[in-house]
Amino acid sequence: MFATVISALNQGFLTTLALFLITLAGALPLGLLISFGSMSRFRPLKYVMRTIVWVFRGSPLLLQLFIIFYVPGELNHNIWAFSSGRFWAAAAAFILNYACYFSEIYRGGIESIPRGQDEAGLVLGMTKRQIFFKVKLMQLVRRIVPPMSNEIITLVKDTSLANSIALAEVIWAGKKFMKSDGLVWPLFFTGLYYLAFTGVLTLLFAWVEKKLSYYRV
Amino acid sequence: MKKMIALLLAAMMVLGLAACGQKEAAPAASDSDLAYVQEKGTLIVGITDFAPMDYQENGEWVGFDADMAKAFAESLGVECQFVEINWDTKIMELDSKNLDCVWNGMTLTSEVTSAMECSNAYCNNAQVIVVPADVADQYADAESCKDLTFAVEAGSAGEAAVIDLGYNYVSVTDQASALMEVASGTSDAAVIDLLMAGAMIGEGTSYANLTHTAELTTEEYGVGFRKGSDLAAALNEFLSAAYADGSLRACAETYGVQDALIAQ
Repeated sequence: MFATVISALNQGFLTTLALFLITLAGALPLGLLISFGSMSRFRPLKYVMRTIVWVFRGSPLLLQLFIIFYVPGELNHNIWAFSSGRFWAAAAAFILNYACYFSEIYRGGIESIPRGQDEAGLVLGMTKRQIFFKVKLMQLVRRIVPPMSNEIITLVKDTSLANSIALAEVIWAGKKFMKSDGLVWPLFFTGLYYLAFTGVLTLLFAWVEKKLSYYRV
Repeated sequence: MKKMIALLLAAMMVLGLAACGQKEAAPAASDSDLAYVQEKGTLIVGITDFAPMDYQENGEWVGFDADMAKAFAESLGVECQFVEINWDTKIMELDSKNLDCVWNGMTLTSEVTSAMECSNAYCNNAQVIVVPADVADQYADAESCKDLTFAVEAGSAGEAAVIDLGYNYVSVTDQASALMEVASGTSDAAVIDLLMAGAMIGEGTSYANLTHTAELTTEEYGVGFRKGSDLAAALNEFLSAAYADGSLRACAETYGVQDALIAQ
């Protein structure tokens, strides 16, 4: 029985992991785009981006999952009618939601760099592009690592929300044994998967921070 | 740099709008649900893990409902696909066409029949109170249970029965969770389907220390389709044919539910 449970949980955890990785792959770059948009001097773009951030940060992810998965079909255009539709609907919701959170972290990082550095760069004859990539980018990365790691660890646990649209991730796999065999422990056991995974991420972020701690003042 | 990004974002938004436009231009769904299902070649059946109606054996879905769903799909000339869903989102799943039917020991309540196109009833059922066996004598009828806290499945007929009685209850995601609440003592009692209680609790099951007492309501099971679907009529024909040739009864006997079968 133990082996059956573990293999079912592993299967579920692979889905959790895939959702996590795809969300990061989508949300990290999309968040950067949104943050540039929300700092743009072109007013309409700035307001559109800030409204998007408000909507996705300001409403529950659970509700976003329901809306993204069910509303297209209710309007007679079910875009998720393929075999892994549930997974991609969940991925779309997570990417949009997390991109909005990430964009604010990026924005905070970018705006925290003193204006004097831009001015110094301009005096030295650098272009804005050169200033961003050669002067500000690595300082920015260093500053956003702690808030990012916070958000990324939250993401690991938030993936469990996808079971509301019946995506068979690790919690779903654990709950299944409650329904079919009356076994309760597999559900609680899934906690170890999350702890192990966030443990690895915590070590990874500590290492990244250490690597980035040059010229600390 | 910023102008480039602004342009890129604007382009993305335009593309997004264009994509929406395309979707709207797609042909509207056919009026006949039967034709729609036959055209795509699959009947997607929404279920939960619910012995003896739908449950897994060696990775395959079996049970009284699952076997009949397979036979019905075969009669339509399409492939039968089972999808596990959350029971409380079944209507959204149907309306958004992520499912074609819900065939999972569904009680025909007025809520269900008003939101879905339902088949004729094919099976009898009752909602029963489940309590730990050692206190069962104290709670033999509904009246004696009035001070207990109940666990019920959200959106189920059991929940409706408890609301009618005005008792304290907590809604959980499925009937198995309701049983777990009782087994772990977080709720005093649960209300679940009699057919499920027969299969899930008592001697020789994982819940040997639970038993069922009073029947609250009696009811009938049916299959749910999208509102206005012509599949319900097709299923009614199929059921009466299967009842006439004895295959419905034979299938019910396989899963021990023949006493609950309703003549078609």
